[in-house]
Amino acid sequence: MITAGLDLGAGTVKGALLEDGERILALASRPSRGVPVTSARAVLDELEEGANIAPGEVDYLCTTGFGRYAIPERHLQVSDFTSSARGARFLFPRTRLVVDIGSQATRTMAVSETGKVLKFKMNEKCAAGAGRFVERCSKYLQVPLDEMGPRALESAHPKLISSVCAVLAETEIINNVAEGVPLSDILMGVFLSLAQRAHSLMRYVGIQPEVTLVGGLVRSNGMVKALRDTIGMEVNISADSYYAAALGAAILGHARLRKLRTAPGPSGG
Amino acid sequence: MKGIVAGVDIGSTTAKCVILGEDGQILGKSLSAVGVDIVKDAEKALEAALTDARLARSDVSFITGTGYGRYKVYFGQLVVTEISCHARGAHFLFPKTRLVVDIGGQDTKAIRIDEKGDVVDFAMNDKCAAGTGRFLEVCANALGYDVGEIGPLSLAAQRPLKVTSTCTVFAESEVTSYLSRGKDPKDILAGLHSSIANRTLSLMQRVGVEPEITFTGGVSQNEGMVRALSRRVGSPVNVSPLSQFLGALGAALHGRERLPGGAS
Repeated sequence: MITAGLDLGAGTVKGALLEDGERILALASRPSRGVPVTSARAVLDELEEGANIAPGEVDYLCTTGFGRYAIPERHLQVSDFTSSARGARFLFPRTRLVVDIGSQATRTMAVSETGKVLKFKMNEKCAAGAGRFVERCSKYLQVPLDEMGPRALESAHPKLISSVCAVLAETEIINNVAEGVPLSDILMGVFLSLAQRAHSLMRYVGIQPEVTLVGGLVRSNGMVKALRDTIGMEVNISADSYYAAALGAAILGHARLRKLRTAPGPSGG
Repeated sequence: MKGIVAGVDIGSTTAKCVILGEDGQILGKSLSAVGVDIVKDAEKALEAALTDARLARSDVSFITGTGYGRYKVYFGQLVVTEISCHARGAHFLFPKTRLVVDIGGQDTKAIRIDEKGDVVDFAMNDKCAAGTGRFLEVCANALGYDVGEIGPLSLAAQRPLKVTSTCTVFAESEVTSYLSRGKDPKDILAGLHSSIANRTLSLMQRVGVEPEITFTGGVSQNEGMVRALSRRVGSPVNVSPLSQFLGALGAALHGRERLPGGAS
């Protein structure tokens, strides 16, 4: 059985193609650019191409993310919490706390030993607690997004940000630049500020090992270090963590399909 | 004996100064931008108001500083919080005021006052740009307007839209996406104004909404905001062309009470 998972996020559409719910055939992503449907179709094409299969060979499509209802041909849609927690458990089976830092929202989920989401907390109201803050800093500090992490790691004395608002922080950061604070210290300050926001969400649901970071920001080593330093604990990451929600969706899709196929028909039930 | 007094209000974006005569009439005032050298900006604000009043520094017997930069008014004899000053200033202009709503460039305050113009209770948002003048500024810029021109435009809206994001950053994206869907900027602006009115009302409710309401701060000069706020609270709100000077006026009034023979 081949199942596809599509995570239609605010910043990026991510996709995963799985065989039998456990073997990764292909992963792909595209920026959402405000039209996640178009990007989602392109991601799906890329997945099929990557796995070298024909469109008809995908048995089941499960969507997640804020744009999950936008794909009419989907068989199933699941919430971001469920998919992201499932994906994190797939990558790190001993995960008990999942942190998903995306462009638009930060989510934390405490999961049981069996993988059930016990408690969750999300910030979607405020840009200061989401990846958007980092994106904005990248723009006005003129440091490309993928360079922000490596540059931040050079920081010797991170410059903490006192503003809790992304807009007010902008003024603060510009003042820091004017005062000659090294760029690497400012960048690490940005990641630490985001890590502190995530930390308070994590405390709300309860912190216990293992902690797994997923979502768009997992690609930034500056973010990973900031989070590890802030919570004082190891944080799981892997090359596939970026696709956790898409993987989770594909896994949940597989589980549903198997159930449908093995369940007795209406006459037998 | 009463003398001439001055109040200097150093806000986050502008410096205001008011010179008050012996009988409580406004002799001169000034409004200027605040830069990096706040001490100098405070001096300049006072000098400009003195010029406006055709007075010399030696004519002024008492100077009070207020606002975010009040401790930089080194030449003053007294420092008073802007909350007490806004209360006093609003009471002076509209003696029946019981609730002062101050929307500035960087924060919003709701101040409940008594019949003497003293503060009873207040609530403020200074943590976050949402619901402040900064919110309007950011969103106005996203639409390609200057913050000074959006008030009247919002009043010409045919089908006001809803702006649901609280966060300024997210609202900016919401505004841009409305624009890319071909929505009328006037309708978007109307939505932005009512969004701030909603946020302001919840701040007001924390201290108790009681008439008369006096709307002050830089944003009170935006007639779209005045209309949106009065519609939201369901009663007219007092606005004065002097409302931007209320903090400075209140500072001057506090100073006046300190003079020998001044009102207590």
